[in-house]
Amino acid sequence: MAKSAMLLVGTKKGLYTMRSNDRKKWTVEGPHGAPAPIHHASFDPRDQSMFAAINSTWGGSRIEYSRDLGKTWATSKNPAFPQGSDRTFFQTWHIEPGHVKTPNVVWAGTEPAALWKSEDRGETWTLNTGLDDQPSRAKWTPGFGGMGLHSIAIDAVDPNKMQVGISVGGVYTTTDGGKSWVQDNTQTGGPEDRPDVFGCIHKLLAHPKVSGVRFMRVHLEVYWRDPGETTWTFRTTGLPTKFGFSAAMHPHDAKTAWCIPLHDMKRTAIEPGIAVFKTTDKGATWTRHDAGLPKGAALESLREGMDNDDFDDPGVYFGTANGDVYASLDEGKSWDRIAQYLPYVVSVHAATLQ
Amino acid sequence: MSSGAPPRQKGVKVLLHGAWRQFAGGAKEVALEAATLHDALEQLAVQYPSLKERLRDEHGKLRPHLALFVNDEDARLLGWEDATLKDGDTVHVIPALSGG
Repeated sequence: MAKSAMLLVGTKKGLYTMRSNDRKKWTVEGPHGAPAPIHHASFDPRDQSMFAAINSTWGGSRIEYSRDLGKTWATSKNPAFPQGSDRTFFQTWHIEPGHVKTPNVVWAGTEPAALWKSEDRGETWTLNTGLDDQPSRAKWTPGFGGMGLHSIAIDAVDPNKMQVGISVGGVYTTTDGGKSWVQDNTQTGGPEDRPDVFGCIHKLLAHPKVSGVRFMRVHLEVYWRDPGETTWTFRTTGLPTKFGFSAAMHPHDAKTAWCIPLHDMKRTAIEPGIAVFKTTDKGATWTRHDAGLPKGAALESLREGMDNDDFDDPGVYFGTANGDVYASLDEGKSWDRIAQYLPYVVSVHAATLQ
Repeated sequence: MSSGAPPRQKGVKVLLHGAWRQFAGGAKEVALEAATLHDALEQLAVQYPSLKERLRDEHGKLRPHLALFVNDEDARLLGWEDATLKDGDTVHVIPALSGG
């Protein structure tokens, strides 16, 4: 059966769904959930569920799920901090479908920073106390966008092995499915003065096919980790700026990744304009690609703003603050604008339907 | 209900406005018995459990962006959730205008 692509595009005014059979002509539907901002929406290839983080709106933030590719939506029971806690669920930053070996499990990261596990395909959520009870949680502090847990990196082979990334709280690793966690912030080759909470993690990705491979976008650095390694290797040299949010990993090549550097204070692309940087050697070198992108455009792409599909020739996608979505069908070398005039794009999630 | 609490009034009507209807399966008007505004909201959540988490956070605090009126009066001027209700009162649950 032929594959088709679907993009879940979260914006500051609702969720848009883009569909294409050839990844060239796209239809756009939406918005769902407007005027709520959608920090993240995701697709679960195991059962074709869709999830949307519908935030800061009437009735409070909530997670919705769809079992019919977005035709209808239901509302999860909210993540809820225990009675007596001084924290109140504010909003969801990320929803991560679990490993294929744990078919009913879905994970969510929230603000205040916490990890939540669903064992019923996203209908109810339980606080992960192993992470929440970490004494080092007292050191977590809000970043510019709040204090959230946004990255949930599940190993390709072993679902018991995961990392989470927190702004600002660093990386934690579990090898027992979340029962216990250890801080995982040791780096090699980078700045010597990192705090043990490792500054502000912006995006941490696990390679979907090769166990142990990770790509991490930190506030002012990027890092790579290979199988068996227990430190993060500094791989920022060659990027035009140290700062950025968006990142993606090639689904079939565990040496290739993409990111979009931004000015660290302005949070927009620097001269000569927005560009995607690609590595094919695990971050040792980076190549600028801007063919098809607007020249001189000081665009911005956020933490969840970039993703790739799972075709044999993977499409790469990113959204921008001015409401554009761009696609590349040649692994990032050239780009086409496939949507414009959407609200401020916060997240792009690429789903492969077959 | 304790002996000191005001009695529940019959004929209290709750009107759900705007976005609040979608949280109650599309219901616009709900008839119930309630003594206070707090009681009315509790009864409302009993009839429509999906409203419970939309009205309050996990610690029971009413969410922001929620305006409550009793008849034509802003409930904040009537004691907010302690406002007592009379037979025939209408409670309005309104999405407060906010943001851009």
